[in-house]
Amino acid sequence: MPFIPVLHAEWIKIRTLRSQLGALAAVLVATAGFSTLAAADVDDADPLFSVFFGISFGQIAAIAFGTTAVSTEFRGGALRLTLAAVPDRGRWFAAKATAIALPALAVGLCTGFVSLLVGRAVLGASAPGWAEGVRGAVGCGVHLTLMALFAAGVAAVLRSGVATLSVLIPFLLIVSFVVGDLSGSVADFLPDRAGQVALHSTWDGALGPWSGLGVTALWTAAALAAGAWSVRRRDA
Amino acid sequence: MTSIDVRDLTKEYGGRRAVDGLTFSVRPGRVTGFLGPNGAGKSTTFRLLLGLDRPTAGTATIGGDAYTRLREPLRRVGALLDARAAHGSRTARGHLLALAASNRIPARRVDTVLEETGLATVARQRVRTYSLGMRQRLGIAAALLGDPEAVLLDEPANGLDPEGIVWIRTLLRRLADEGRTVLVSSHLMGETAAFADHLLILGRGRLLADTPVRDFIHTRVRPQVRIRTTDPAALAELLARHGHDASREEDGAWTVRHARVEDLGRLMSEAGVPVLELTAREATLEEAYFDLTASEAEFTAPRQEV
Repeated sequence: MPFIPVLHAEWIKIRTLRSQLGALAAVLVATAGFSTLAAADVDDADPLFSVFFGISFGQIAAIAFGTTAVSTEFRGGALRLTLAAVPDRGRWFAAKATAIALPALAVGLCTGFVSLLVGRAVLGASAPGWAEGVRGAVGCGVHLTLMALFAAGVAAVLRSGVATLSVLIPFLLIVSFVVGDLSGSVADFLPDRAGQVALHSTWDGALGPWSGLGVTALWTAAALAAGAWSVRRRDA
Repeated sequence: MTSIDVRDLTKEYGGRRAVDGLTFSVRPGRVTGFLGPNGAGKSTTFRLLLGLDRPTAGTATIGGDAYTRLREPLRRVGALLDARAAHGSRTARGHLLALAASNRIPARRVDTVLEETGLATVARQRVRTYSLGMRQRLGIAAALLGDPEAVLLDEPANGLDPEGIVWIRTLLRRLADEGRTVLVSSHLMGETAAFADHLLILGRGRLLADTPVRDFIHTRVRPQVRIRTTDPAALAELLARHGHDASREEDGAWTVRHARVEDLGRLMSEAGVPVLELTAREATLEEAYFDLTASEAEFTAPRQEV
C-alpha cells in the first residue's frame, strides 16, 4: 500500500488532538520564553547558548509531543484499529515517525529563529554573530526534532506514555543536569547533551556542533529501530 | 464473493491454547453468529483473522488472501473489535477521517456512515462525551467506512439500548441481504438466535457446533411440559405407564421432558387426573447452549458444509 495516504492519516491524527498541537506550541513558547529570560540576565555565559538556553525546557515539550503521538495508539485497542487499516506495520511506523518529524522540524526551526531574533534584540552588543546564530537556530530545530523522534521510538518499545515520560524526563532533568557539567566525559555523548553542542559558541569536548547532532541522530535511529522492531514483532 | 476461511487455526499464549485447531468457513449472504462464553477464544480468532496476532499454527483467509496481504483492507473487510479504540479527545468525525485517509476512502463516506449509524448530529462532539452505546455505534461506523464485502463485529450489541439492539438486528439483516459476509460474535444465545442464520459455537478455543440456527433449535431444544395436579400419585403412575421422562420440582409441579401439551392433556383427561396447570416450556435455547458449552469436553465438532 502506498505511503502518502498512511502519512496523511497520521497527520490527521496529530492535528485532531489538542494535546498534540498544545505540545508543539509549548516547544516554541518554552524555548523562546526561557531563552529571553536567560538572555536578560547574562553574565559570563556562552553567548550563543544564552540565546538558546530555553531548549532544556522546550525539549521536554518535544518529548511529550513524540511520546503522545505514539502512546495514544496503545490505549483502548487503538493500535488494532490502526493496523487493521494499515497491516504493513513497518510502513505504518515509518509514516508515524514522518508525521512526527515534519511538524516537529517546522516548529523547531521556527523556535530556533524566534529565539535567535529575540536573543539578539535583548543581548545587544554581546549578541552572537549571524553565522553562528543561524547554525544555532538550525541546530535547535534539528535537535528538537531528534528528541521528539527519540521519545517516539522509546514509546513504541515501552507501549505507554506514562512509562516513557517517567523514564525520559527524570533522565533529562536529573542525570543530564547533574553530570552535564562534567565536560569531556561520557556525558557528552548522552542524546540531549550531544545535540546541544550545536547551540554553543565554544566547546571543549570531543564533539563539535555537527558531530554532536550526528551522535543524537544515532541515538534517535537506534530508538526508532527498536520501536519498529517491537511494533513489527509483537502481537497488537 | 468473499468468504472467510479458517483452517486448523491455533494460538497459544504461554502454553495455554486460546484457539485450538479451529476450522470453519463463513459464507456470504447470511449472518453467522459466533457464539461462546467469555474466554472461549472469539476475540482471539478475530485478531488472528485481521492479522493482528500471529497464529501458532494454521491459516485464516478472507476471499482467499491473508488479511495482511490485502491492499487498502478497509475496502474489503470492516471490523469492530473494541469500542474504546477511538481517542476520547477526538471528535467522531476526526477519528473516522484519519481512518478513511489511510485507505484513500473519500471524506463523504465518513458523513454517510455517521448518518447511517445515527451519529450525524453528535459527529463534531468529542468521543469522551459519548455513552457506551454511542461509542459502539462509532465502532460500527468505522467497520462500514470502506463499504466492505465482509463485516466482522465483536460483541456489537454491548452497551446498546433496546432501540439500538433492534437497529443492529436490522442492520445485520440488511448487510447479509446485500450479499455481504457477516460474522458477529456474542456470548448470549438468545440475542444471537434473534439475528443469525448460522451458528458457530466455540468453547475453550474449540469448535463445538457449525450449524444453521434452525437446525440447532430443532435438534437441541427439547420441548418440556409443566404439570400441576391435586393427585400426584395418579399422575406419577400415569406418566410412568406411558414411559414419560418426568420429575417432580420443589414447588410440587412436575416437569415432563420430550412431551407436548396436546398429548399429555388428552392422556390426563382420559385417565381422569385433575389438572391445575398444564404449560408448554419452549424457552430452553439458552439451556441447550449451556449444555453444549458445559459438556464441551465430550464433543467433537460436527463439521457441516452448507
